[in-house]
Amino acid sequence: MEILIQLIFSGIALGMIYAVIAFGYQLTFATSATLNFGQGEALMLGALVGLSFAGNVLGGPYLNFWMMIPLVMVFGALQGALVEFIGVRPAIKIKSEFGWIMSTIALAIIFKNVAENIWGKDDLKFPSPVSEAPLHFLGANVLPMEIIIVVGALAMMLAVEIFNRKSIYGKAVVATSNDRDAAGLMGINTRLVITFSYALSSMTAAFAGVLIAPVTLTGATMGSVLGLKAFAVAIIGGLTSGIGVIVGGLILGIAETTTGFYISTGYKDVPGLVLLLLVLAVKPAGLFGKTAIKKV
Amino acid sequence: MLTIENLHAGYDKTEVLHGISIDVPKGKVVTLIGSNGAGKTTTMRAVSGMIRPRSGRVTLGGKEITGQDSFRIARAGLAHSPEGRRVFPTLSVADNIRLGAFPRYTRSRKRGDIDADLDKAMEMFPRLIERRDQLAGTLSGGEQQMLAIARALMLNPEVVLLDEPSMGLAPILVEEVFNIIRRLKGEGITMLLVEQFAAAALDVADYGYVLENGRIAVHGSADKLKNDPAVRAAYLGGSH
Ligand SMILES: Nc1ncnc2c1ncn2[C@@H]1O[C@H](COP(=O)(O)OP(=O)(O)OP(=O)(O)O)[C@@H](O)[C@H]1O
Ligand SMILES: [Mg+2]
Repeated sequence: MEILIQLIFSGIALGMIYAVIAFGYQLTFATSATLNFGQGEALMLGALVGLSFAGNVLGGPYLNFWMMIPLVMVFGALQGALVEFIGVRPAIKIKSEFGWIMSTIALAIIFKNVAENIWGKDDLKFPSPVSEAPLHFLGANVLPMEIIIVVGALAMMLAVEIFNRKSIYGKAVVATSNDRDAAGLMGINTRLVITFSYALSSMTAAFAGVLIAPVTLTGATMGSVLGLKAFAVAIIGGLTSGIGVIVGGLILGIAETTTGFYISTGYKDVPGLVLLLLVLAVKPAGLFGKTAIKKV
Repeated sequence: MLTIENLHAGYDKTEVLHGISIDVPKGKVVTLIGSNGAGKTTTMRAVSGMIRPRSGRVTLGGKEITGQDSFRIARAGLAHSPEGRRVFPTLSVADNIRLGAFPRYTRSRKRGDIDADLDKAMEMFPRLIERRDQLAGTLSGGEQQMLAIARALMLNPEVVLLDEPSMGLAPILVEEVFNIIRRLKGEGITMLLVEQFAAAALDVADYGYVLENGRIAVHGSADKLKNDPAVRAAYLGGSH
């Protein structure tokens, strides 16, 4: 029983990371029906840039962990805007249905190569900003960093949600998601809104990167699998549902840790993929996906 | 206020408008009449920047706006309530109306008193008041139409384009929409109106243009068109 609780706790932390990356997929899908397949690389770059500020890899540390986070978020936003500008905007402009898929994948590969050249191919240790001694809770061990992951991921999603609901700029983003042409008639620069959604999406991923880095290893390849799993979560939960990615992330995270323990770590990636195939077969809009309310 | 000169526009390879010219003077209501597929909606889209004209010139208050992005044209003061209403379904009624004033919030247009205008828009369409916090996607067609008009007015526009504001409405609501147009005209709002009810449109309008296959066939004062035998036969049911 205690082992199960332990596995669930670890699964929750992992699941919230999936959720927050999947949330990033949703942000760009909402405004432009496109996805940044380099989300995992945005996470990786965020972690490595964060490590360069707060770790001792490039002559640092220059800043402590908490001071580094805002800088990493700014970096993530700029990186996302760049991806949109050179990879996605041209494809949207010529109404190419698949151009953005190729270009975001191509950019992801470039980012990974660049990272390998700057930070090397080996995994690096990211210093933990909090004690690495586990806390005991319900008979299980919880790392303080895992708590920070869960709180940080939820706070990030909540902040975006509040921005969308309360500020006029957030409403402009929602309007663009609803009907891009009509949003243009309201004086909203919808091209800029799409760039903004990419910036926000990569910023979210970069933030997730520095959250997860202290509990895993940090390196150029860390993002690929995470990005893929989070994509599965976005499909499982539904590309339009905020609650969906949280539930989807938790299901996948817990399924992985329990499979890894009770069956074999070699099979820990299987439940996510099986779940993905099941959802695609039974409910392609995702568990929580809904068709938009629209009266014509 | 709004001038359209020799406008050519269309979609992909087909040209729909073959050089049309329309003048909408300040404070006047101009109606554009034509049968289905004549190009009325295309005209409005080309003016507001939803599509890019191929050639010709559009000016708003003397400033050229031809081919600009729709958000720039809106910021310059042109409001367009498009065909099919196009309200934002997942936003509330109040948020839809607020977004009509987006350039004022961001000060790319003179701000003025947005809240007072919001109240005024609500008061003009009382059935929106009780539905303030309802999602626009759950409104009836008639309510959505009123919302689309209210939203357009929130820009504090120099010119309003209304594309079939009475489309799909029950007769009593059609009446209400025309009353509102009359009221807006009384407030001195400049309008370009497309309506399927040509007779009613010519009653409120100062000038009319008849569009046939992408060309202006006849134009003149509303009274002149009402008494034009060809216009009467084709668009006004031929009688009275
Ligand atoms: N998005 C589009 N793509 C291609 N062709 C279009 C598009 N919209 C309209 N058309 C075509 O352009 C022509 C003019 O259409 P438009 O919508 O301007 O007519 P309308 O006068 O507004 O008609 P209605 O009274 O039915 O609204 C039609 O032949 C129509 O098929
Ligand atoms: Mg039309």
